[in-house]
Amino acid sequence: MEEKIEKLLSELAERAGQPVRQGLAEDIKNLIPSRIIPHTMDTINIIIDLRVSKLAAAIVIVVTLILLVTLHGGADAAGDNIYRDGELLMKYVFGWGSASKSDMLAVRSKYECLVQEGIEAVYFGDKADLNDAESVLLQWKLPDGRYEVILGDLHKETVTAEELIALQARMLQNRINR
Amino acid sequence: MMEKREKAIEQRVESAHLKRKAVDLRGSKDRSAEREYSVAARLRRGERAAAEELVDMYYERIYSFMRGVGHGRHISEDLTQETFLRAWAHIGQLRNGRALGGWLYRIAGNVSRVYWRKQKNRKFASIEHIERAANEKAEPEKVSQYEELARLQEAVARLPWKLRKVIVLHYMQHLTIVEAAEAAGVREGTFKSRLNRALQILRKQVS
Repeated sequence: MEEKIEKLLSELAERAGQPVRQGLAEDIKNLIPSRIIPHTMDTINIIIDLRVSKLAAAIVIVVTLILLVTLHGGADAAGDNIYRDGELLMKYVFGWGSASKSDMLAVRSKYECLVQEGIEAVYFGDKADLNDAESVLLQWKLPDGRYEVILGDLHKETVTAEELIALQARMLQNRINR
Repeated sequence: MMEKREKAIEQRVESAHLKRKAVDLRGSKDRSAEREYSVAARLRRGERAAAEELVDMYYERIYSFMRGVGHGRHISEDLTQETFLRAWAHIGQLRNGRALGGWLYRIAGNVSRVYWRKQKNRKFASIEHIERAANEKAEPEKVSQYEELARLQEAVARLPWKLRKVIVLHYMQHLTIVEAAEAAGVREGTFKSRLNRALQILRKQVS
């Protein structure tokens, strides 16, 4: 019986998989980005390779974040990498794609790193509209007088004081409209 | 006496042929492994040409994987594209050539699972049945064979995701247990036990 099922499955595969549309390969090749940038996600890779459960992975990353913040006072380079890895891992843990709550955890941990370093940062995560790509989640001042902000779509941007005011005014207006 | 000698010669010829075949097969596997190593290394350096080569090497297999797990033709095409897009975005996860296929299948599995998850609240999509060949409409034996195939297709589509994936990887993509376990992202033991469970269910349904 097993042999028969194997044979049938093999035939099923052959029939279902054929014919592949001509031009599919070309369509896919057209989607290749002009620059392929290998981003190393060491923390995630270790966890994926170890194949630990997702919950265990979440616990590992949270404990790592807390330890790093506590032990190293959130050293800038490490803090930033951990922030990025944390963000990606949370996406891995809670499913690829949108993961607003998990994203906020990562932003929050970045905020804590900055505070530990003695940098004056403002965290808007509790009040920000997560559906608004331009709402400011976190901001801190740079030595040159400009500001670094993390926006709702999780991208980091450097803005001038005027631009920051405009972003905040927009956020305020949105909140009033809601 | 003559017959015996002829048989012995035949056997020797046959054995030499088999040896040649085994050497050829080993050679082709080695060449394919070499190619995978080279593509993986170039991909890690961010070479666009390597990305094109990856498409040529795997697009049919990924499409057939998508069809095997039960997606329709158009969805399978979209999900195949999505798989490669994800692969390029996650090139950093790629370790070495040996894992190239497994890595891509793992991405394909995730893409497919996310798609099914999104469809969870909708009614189960109707299965796109395999097409009947001309003689399967007329000859009674062929008709019953086709029906058996269609029944099996439905049974595979009704399997829970984890079990469906192992069946597709091992029996439909023809990966070895080691390769398929790597592609499914589980240990060999887990893979074998899932495979057994899936086969039991299929046996019941088809018989």
